[in-house]
Amino acid sequence: MATDPYARFGLTLRGWAFPGGSSRKVPAKLVTRAPLDGRGDAPFVDIVDEADRVIAAAQFDEITIDPPLGRSPRRMHFPDEAMFETEDHDGVRSLTGQTRGDLLSSYEAFRPRLVAVIAALAVCCWVLWRYGLDLMVTAAIALTPAGLLGYMDQGTLQTIDLTMADDTELDDAERDRVRQIFSTLLAELPASKINDRDFKLLFRNMERIGPNAFAMPGGTIVMTDQFVEKFPQEDVLAGVLGHEIGHVVESHGLRQTYRSLGMYFLIGFLAGDTGPIIDEILLEGNLLLSLQFSRKHEASADEFGVKLTADAGYDPAGLQMFFREIAKGGLTPPEWLSTHPSSEERVEQIEGYIDALD
Amino acid sequence: MSDTSMNVNPGETQQVVFNGKAGEWFGIWIVNLLLSIVTIGIYSAWAKVRTKKYFYNNTFIAGRNFDYHATGKQILIGRIIVIVGFIAFTLLSAIPFVNIIMFLALFAALPWLIVKSLQFNARQSSFSNVRFNFTGKMGRAFVVYVLLPIVLYIAIVAVGAGGGFLAGQTGSVALGALAAVAVLVILLFAIPIVDRAIKRYVINHHWLGKAAFSFDAGLSPFVKALSLALAWIVLVVLVSGVLFGASFASLADMFVSLDAGGEPTPGQLGLIGLIYLLFFVAFLPAGFIYQALIRNVMYDNTQLDGGHKFRSTVKVGKLMWIAISNAFVVAISIGLMLPWAQIRMQSYLASQTFVIPGSSLDDFIGEQQAAGNAIGDAYGDLEGVDFGVGI
Repeated sequence: MATDPYARFGLTLRGWAFPGGSSRKVPAKLVTRAPLDGRGDAPFVDIVDEADRVIAAAQFDEITIDPPLGRSPRRMHFPDEAMFETEDHDGVRSLTGQTRGDLLSSYEAFRPRLVAVIAALAVCCWVLWRYGLDLMVTAAIALTPAGLLGYMDQGTLQTIDLTMADDTELDDAERDRVRQIFSTLLAELPASKINDRDFKLLFRNMERIGPNAFAMPGGTIVMTDQFVEKFPQEDVLAGVLGHEIGHVVESHGLRQTYRSLGMYFLIGFLAGDTGPIIDEILLEGNLLLSLQFSRKHEASADEFGVKLTADAGYDPAGLQMFFREIAKGGLTPPEWLSTHPSSEERVEQIEGYIDALD
Repeated sequence: MSDTSMNVNPGETQQVVFNGKAGEWFGIWIVNLLLSIVTIGIYSAWAKVRTKKYFYNNTFIAGRNFDYHATGKQILIGRIIVIVGFIAFTLLSAIPFVNIIMFLALFAALPWLIVKSLQFNARQSSFSNVRFNFTGKMGRAFVVYVLLPIVLYIAIVAVGAGGGFLAGQTGSVALGALAAVAVLVILLFAIPIVDRAIKRYVINHHWLGKAAFSFDAGLSPFVKALSLALAWIVLVVLVSGVLFGASFASLADMFVSLDAGGEPTPGQLGLIGLIYLLFFVAFLPAGFIYQALIRNVMYDNTQLDGGHKFRSTVKVGKLMWIAISNAFVVAISIGLMLPWAQIRMQSYLASQTFVIPGSSLDDFIGEQQAAGNAIGDAYGDLEGVDFGVGI
């Protein structure tokens, strides 16, 4: 005779039977009895109606019992689509023993300890936002084929050419001079950091944008004519190019794309649980907070640029010179609202990076 | 639950009963959120199942409740496929020419996603142990969700732009006004036409086991609901024009001074805030007016084989009050009162919903169907849209 750890034999649960195949619902009992010899130690389960006719019968391990959910009636599904429903929660528990579903349900119970759950939720949100997403982003970057990035650069460049850029008006000698600096910098880049990126320097005439340079994830770097005209000094050119190479090597653009996608998925799939208003606050708040990452990336690219230019034999103070000039330019938005740290601050930080070189 | 509660007399109106309790649902909801965050979103699939099950299990008609049968695993697989597809779409969209193909592919995929979503949700839902089913075809989904809206949109733009162009050419104000009225009239019919087509498509292809749902209604209740909603917007615009018209005129000066590099004054910033507020006052209630009236039209004109009829008596004012006060309470409680708000709304909607059975509720014949995949369902979740009829 098999042993019965939960006293599961000889139980009677009152409830309702749905015999299966239709919506018919009848008052019924669920009764359990010991299995026949040689059929293991799980009980045998019958649904019987009020006249003690058997509606369905099965071995205990053949039936599916839905996990508990609040006070909702418990449901047991039999192999032939018959179903038994009962509000005898204790009875079902003595049949199943303590399951993982019971554990979950007990944590969900409306009790003062839910305050701890709220606190844990706040902490976990912060940890995920601060560290968890970064881990996922790093994994996603590792999985992105480098060839794809080249095509994406082409697409971005096409958009820029279409909307805001004209062909460069710099003469060949001037372009060659800047390209020379670019290749000197690249020569200093260790092979391990090139990471299959296809570094390219392009020039565009962009009057509305002014003196500027930007990097795309695949390694395409665009410098405006206005930049070369305003800052012809080799050290400044090297400093800014080094900064842009830093963005590419550290995958900053891709990081920000994946990070915002990650947040979009997370908020999107949790939105049903947060409601429309909180959903909006999360999306907007995330946008504002993600600027912090953008500023961190700028500082990191500054540091990278300073080191690379120094290694290549240029004066690392060139980048500083550029920001001093920008700082004179006037209006800058408050820092928390900006994608870049303020120019004054960057001048100071770069001082620190230069000091650290020796 | 007594013996008599489940055996109904034909013709006896049954109120839908919702038994969800705010405290109980709060516990389930907050644990759902915590586990979803801890598992970087993976548990959200199981959380969805628990959420749907809670609301379905607690909704009763004549002592029989609903159930939701999808598993967390099915939902998770759907979500992973959608995430991978979405990332691929984002990256490939940056590539010239490929992006055009991707865009067209999404258009073509939309009807498939919608049909799969409706099918999955119907087949994973049951009432009194009988599964629902959805048998709509993709071609028709393309017509009602994609083609019809595009055609009507083009008509509106063509009439508006054409009329505006002619008015500009001839300098005739009357012609311009005529074009504006024409646009408004087309709009007044276009939205009801699309909305009714969607509701017909969705409801007429739904089944409870082998019993078919059917819905038909004239266009006029839809036009009437939209007219009332638009009338509210017009009223808000007129009243605010009379009250604040002069102040708004001063905003034009602000844009001039901003262009010249000036800063907006606090008074002007206040006015901009007021415009935002008026925007909500105009459009949110308009949305509720339309929703409430259309929900009633939808239930009142739906039947289920076996002679079963439905009735909804949602009141615009009451629905609006619940929705707005809910939003307020949720906002000031940084979201913690959301479960309470959801239970409150669901209780109200249930209390205004009735079934008039035409025969015994024991007689629905069940039919098992493979539920298909959860990709469409996951896509709907991510984009925050409900392809159904939003009961």
